[in-house]
Amino acid sequence: MKQINLIIAIALMGLSQTALASMKVTVNGMVCSFCAQGIEKSISKMDETKAVFVDLKNKVVVVEAKEGKTLNEKLISQEIKDSGYDVVKIETISQTVAQFRAQQKDKK
Amino acid sequence: MKQVITQASFFLLVVGAVSNSFAAPMGFKNSWMLMGDFSKTYQEFGLNYATTANDAFGISASAMQTDNSVSKQQNLEAVYTRKLARWNLPEAQANIWFIGGLGSTTGNTFTGSKAMASPGIQVDYETTRFYSMASARVYAAQGATSNITTARLGASFYEADYDEPQPWIVVEARRMTFVSKQYEFTPMVRVIHKRYFVEAGANLSGQLRFNFMYNY
Repeated sequence: MKQINLIIAIALMGLSQTALASMKVTVNGMVCSFCAQGIEKSISKMDETKAVFVDLKNKVVVVEAKEGKTLNEKLISQEIKDSGYDVVKIETISQTVAQFRAQQKDKK
Repeated sequence: MKQVITQASFFLLVVGAVSNSFAAPMGFKNSWMLMGDFSKTYQEFGLNYATTANDAFGISASAMQTDNSVSKQQNLEAVYTRKLARWNLPEAQANIWFIGGLGSTTGNTFTGSKAMASPGIQVDYETTRFYSMASARVYAAQGATSNITTARLGASFYEADYDEPQPWIVVEARRMTFVSKQYEFTPMVRVIHKRYFVEAGANLSGQLRFNFMYNY
């Protein structure tokens, strides 16, 4: 019984981590905030989005999901395309937007 | 000196050419773009809505006058903007735009109102620190045709974060045949901050210039 509980707990932890994960999207063509603000605006409107961070220097967009929500990779990709840019790579990262921003700040 | 200016003018004509000196003449899909360009000899106020990532429809009102304010012309148009091509590179972006207007023009050099068409093309290339643009637009009306040719080069003081205002120095060469056959050179300071884009400067004759764009 204890083993079953342990397995369920681990599985739930896994699910929880997946739901809370952020997406790090590498984008080609982002050169100024005036042009790229469409990305922030359109992704922020998505129901599952908690926070968006546009990193012009590293050409990445980080999207954090709301608790219990799962980010839709295809929709995010389409929104970035509709803003006029090309998606090069999408990765799932365990950091929140705030943590990612803090990490980038520390690198400076 | 005159020969250098003539050669520069020829180069600008070859590179590309006419007005609409805006950085990107339309915003992202489902967004509005408000634009203004104000100087003594040219004033334009425009608004467009991007229905797709590549198409925008809008209106524009513009007025031109000679330096001595003797000749004046006013244009009112419906304007279609099309992003013909975009190259998204890892550290840069390049675009080719079509801008075409249909409307009417009035002025004190002719009587009544004339139908007018104003096709134009703009090419630009920019990185986070460097900006270049050339555009050409013809304002065609029976007996009252003129064109505007523009080229711009700009450099940013530093690479800014997304949330920071970014200042630039931009130099524009512009020839409006309605005003003069000579190019006017205008250094400007540009500041970009998310949905705001403003430029202010003065040409070498001291005439003030102000441009803005607002995307929402």
